[in-house]
Amino acid sequence: MPEAIKKVCVIGAGTMGAGIAAQVANAGVPVLLLDIVRDPANRNAVAQGALERLRKAEPAAFMSKRAAKLVEVGNIEDDLARVGECDWVIEAIVERLDLKHALYEKLEAVRRPGTAVSSNTSTIPLEQLVAGRSEGFARDFLITHFFNPPRYMRLLEVVAGPASDAALVAKVSDFADRALGKTVVRAKDTPGFLANRVGTFWIQQAINAALDLGLTVEEADAVVGKPMGVPKTGVFGLVDLVGIDLMPHLKASLTATLPADDAYRAIAVDHPLITKMIADGYTGRKGKGGFYRLNREAGKRKETIDLVSGEYRPAAKPPTIPGAALKDLRALVGLSGKLGAYAWAVLGPTLSYAASLVPQASDDIVAIDVAMKLGYNWKFGPFELIDKLGTAQFAERLKAEGKPVPAIVELAAGRPFYRVEGGKRQALGLDGEYHDVARPEGVVLLEDIKLSAKPLLKTASAALWDVGDGVAALEFTGKMNALDGEVMKLIGQAIPLVAEKFKGLVIYNEGSHFSAGANLGLALFAMNIAAWGEIEKLVAGGQQALKALKYAPFPVVGAPSGMALGGGCEVLLHCDAIQAHAESYIGLVECGVGLVPGWGGNGEMLDRWRQNPALPKGPMPAVAKVFETVSTATVSKSAAEAIEHGFLRPTDQVTMNRDRLLADAKARALALAEGYRPPEPPVFRLPGAGGKTALDMAVQGFRARGLATPHDEVVSGALARILTGGDADLIDTVTEDDLLAAERREFTSLVRNPATQARIEHMLKTGKPLRN
Amino acid sequence: MPNAVIAGYARSPFHLAGKGALARTRPDDLAAAVIKELVQRTGLASDAIEDLIVGCAFPEGEQGFNVARLIGLIAGLPRSVGGMTVNRFCGSSMSAIHHAVGQIAAGSGEVFIAAGVESMSRVPMMGFNPLPNPALAKASQAYIGMGDTAENLASHYGLSRETQEAFAVASQHKAAAAIAAGKLKDEIVPIETKAGVVDTDGCPRPGTTAEALASLKPAFSATGTVTAGTSSPLTDGASAVIVASEDYARAHGLPILARIKSMAISGCAPEIMGIGPVESSRKALARAGISVADLDVIELNEAFASQALACIADLGLDTAKINLDGGAIALGHPLGATGARIMGKAASLLQRTGGKYALATQCIGGGQGIATVLEAI
Repeated sequence: MPEAIKKVCVIGAGTMGAGIAAQVANAGVPVLLLDIVRDPANRNAVAQGALERLRKAEPAAFMSKRAAKLVEVGNIEDDLARVGECDWVIEAIVERLDLKHALYEKLEAVRRPGTAVSSNTSTIPLEQLVAGRSEGFARDFLITHFFNPPRYMRLLEVVAGPASDAALVAKVSDFADRALGKTVVRAKDTPGFLANRVGTFWIQQAINAALDLGLTVEEADAVVGKPMGVPKTGVFGLVDLVGIDLMPHLKASLTATLPADDAYRAIAVDHPLITKMIADGYTGRKGKGGFYRLNREAGKRKETIDLVSGEYRPAAKPPTIPGAALKDLRALVGLSGKLGAYAWAVLGPTLSYAASLVPQASDDIVAIDVAMKLGYNWKFGPFELIDKLGTAQFAERLKAEGKPVPAIVELAAGRPFYRVEGGKRQALGLDGEYHDVARPEGVVLLEDIKLSAKPLLKTASAALWDVGDGVAALEFTGKMNALDGEVMKLIGQAIPLVAEKFKGLVIYNEGSHFSAGANLGLALFAMNIAAWGEIEKLVAGGQQALKALKYAPFPVVGAPSGMALGGGCEVLLHCDAIQAHAESYIGLVECGVGLVPGWGGNGEMLDRWRQNPALPKGPMPAVAKVFETVSTATVSKSAAEAIEHGFLRPTDQVTMNRDRLLADAKARALALAEGYRPPEPPVFRLPGAGGKTALDMAVQGFRARGLATPHDEVVSGALARILTGGDADLIDTVTEDDLLAAERREFTSLVRNPATQARIEHMLKTGKPLRN
Repeated sequence: MPNAVIAGYARSPFHLAGKGALARTRPDDLAAAVIKELVQRTGLASDAIEDLIVGCAFPEGEQGFNVARLIGLIAGLPRSVGGMTVNRFCGSSMSAIHHAVGQIAAGSGEVFIAAGVESMSRVPMMGFNPLPNPALAKASQAYIGMGDTAENLASHYGLSRETQEAFAVASQHKAAAAIAAGKLKDEIVPIETKAGVVDTDGCPRPGTTAEALASLKPAFSATGTVTAGTSSPLTDGASAVIVASEDYARAHGLPILARIKSMAISGCAPEIMGIGPVESSRKALARAGISVADLDVIELNEAFASQALACIADLGLDTAKINLDGGAIALGHPLGATGARIMGKAASLLQRTGGKYALATQCIGGGQGIATVLEAI
């Protein structure tokens, strides 16, 4: 259980070690970060420097300032004995066996027996790491291989040796799962484990094939990116991102340990172009540029390297992939011409190689699929991709080309690797039989529920599901989970149903983002045809729906992950409680598109802030705080930060592991269901015209300093009118309904403003805010 | 009518608001520590004190509840001593002194402590609940930001950024030299904080160069010339002087620094509040029957370099006599506490330099000036 690990020591404060330490701290667990002594005058300088870099890292390594304070720095000469305070020691020093051996020898003298020791090695076999160590050390030892950046990459490969204590491995794995939020994949003690083994092969093969078949960088990435469902960067874009200079290192470490007949050896060639790029400092985004670059001398022109001449040229428009091939992998590899040939030249050998790793590197095809999805951001794992091609067709094409067919593909014998049987997802096992794909204990996923159930209610943009134990789940289903009248309609239908048949409701979905907010495209369309009535209806309808949700006779728990913006944030603000995934990015961003929160967000934020005991008394502090947060479209960079910004209440809870979010949210709803009573409507004392004047003056100051635009002043003026109570006097009481009416008034006036319309149009076109 | 004299001066170290060493110290505790030490150092019989008058620009939060009375109680002054908080923004503690002088002249007391305090860390400028009058805000510039007034003066008087920066560098250098020579040591009361004793100023930046200042962004207007480097910083601090009738001070052996010769208040347009010292100084000099040329020591508060330069130009002041130990740009400007500091400083400087007349003057937000002429004894 997570409680069993109360303190962690990370040795090695490089990118990985420091990042792992930060994630341990994000889990609220104190961590000791040690590195060597380089400066006798400042013995902790190396670890200290790493901590300072972590504090400034972009994307942020820490989820909160409080987390940063949980990291204590030291050095291995003075502080190694302090591993005795720790329940888990993670070694993340340089990949040199002699240095690791020397460290383990010292560790053995100071650690408590039973303290887990793991290495973050990505290349050295466990067998070699424990060579020469005591039995007790080998029993407590394992490999825990994190991915970079450790906060954001969900994969953790765990390798246990023959001597490893199963209970200890389970304890570390469970902590990694629940506290660090990682999906733990077990791998055998083979070179590169799972993700890097397949990933390195894939990248090399994709580059080789592009050069062999004479594709441009743009063409190659257009084929590999969207159609195959690997990162939209494509392969060259990905290499630019991780660093081109990493490739020779990966190659050297893999070729040093891979079996002599491994297929990777045959493709691991050095390309003179890439060698020269690295030598000249063209190492990707961190260097002077990579396969792609932004030429600042040519006015920020996007350029691409010519794979033949090695010269940069203006980036070409990516080739158009025919519609069918975008969605159907078979059509993609069947395309005539070099694009189709390239698709197969990448997929055939890569998927074949991945399949050949069963049972050598893992007995479990699911493990390999999960590793590639979470370690390399593939949308589908290799076996899922083979299913898309068809196992029979895949085997046939390999045979036709005189290539070996991997044993597991032969075993499938035309059957898919995955099937759904009796509402359960099953995967093909080494015994040739199908077995249920097991979820870790306690994990509940809507994806699994959907295999056997139909929604209780459904509209064009939302659905209601029975997620068991008397809890219903409201799912957004539109593009980007955008909110519209159809979502509000479903909320209206759901309330009586949930009240009658369930104990509570969770608002949850499994998209990458909880909700991007109100459907702006729809709003713009209505503006263009001057359908003001429709817009007013959308605002009023949303207000009524969310208010009904708030005062429903059952508890409502919001369970966001990813972005919850604008209207998405307002949905959360109306919930009784939030169970947030740690990676929740929440904000009221309406002002960015020239609008104000229109679905009750203003009143909810005011109500939260005025209850904050840290604020001084009086009519202004809460108003000023909300004004500042909303007028600048502040978005939290974590759930912890969302609490600091007041989007979440201090009593709201955080789930580290994405897969455990629904289960935790259900538990929270059930806990609240006992003796549940809906909240009392708030009544406000607002500052009135004097407060509005103060806020206006602040905005004028920002204007003078060039930090606010003319339309910012208009939009903030509208926001200030709502938050200060408009014409209400300081001694008047303002009700929730008064605030909702003010929201409607200001919102419908702003949508008629051409400057607001220009902002919305620009956002839809470019994805970026217009500063007019 | 009885003469009033400054018979003792002390202050806390001044530190940057927010990140400085006094940010976690309550303003009432801070001022009380200064007053307690001032009484001890001068040997003043505390039961003789008629009233404790404390200037404070934002008397709310920890500076609220008539903080003067509370400071007196914390400082251990006898219960018989009164307490009154006065607010004239930056002129608050100079007004506290003026009030004491008036009381002495009216025969309503012999000894007063006039003090000032501001924790700009703990009570923000504009206070916690700014609620300006909308009609007045529309009709006038009553609520104009101080930085904007500094910009207005810079453009009215054609003061280039370089000129302002040269003035700021000089202020920093004068303060650095005074600190290095130990000239500020005697006036500073060490303050005990949770993190240890604080006994030196935290605001000065002795290494300031014109080049470094030139690299700063304008602080108030994208196209402006005023920067953080040519403005006084937000500051935490407290200061206090003993104001006594000359007879009492002599009879009881108090350390007399200077006699108060004349005092004045004036008003001006809010949008050029920084020019306030010009009219108030003219009035005070006239009431003292002297001219600018008679002055040996001038303490002209540096809210902003542009504002100070404008006043120097209008009054025709001799810069060699101004702010000999540095001004607020270097030392800091804890609003309510500055008046008592520059009064104490001017009086002390008369003693140190052997001069005859000193002028202490300040601009005040909202459009006012305040000035005092001191005479050596």
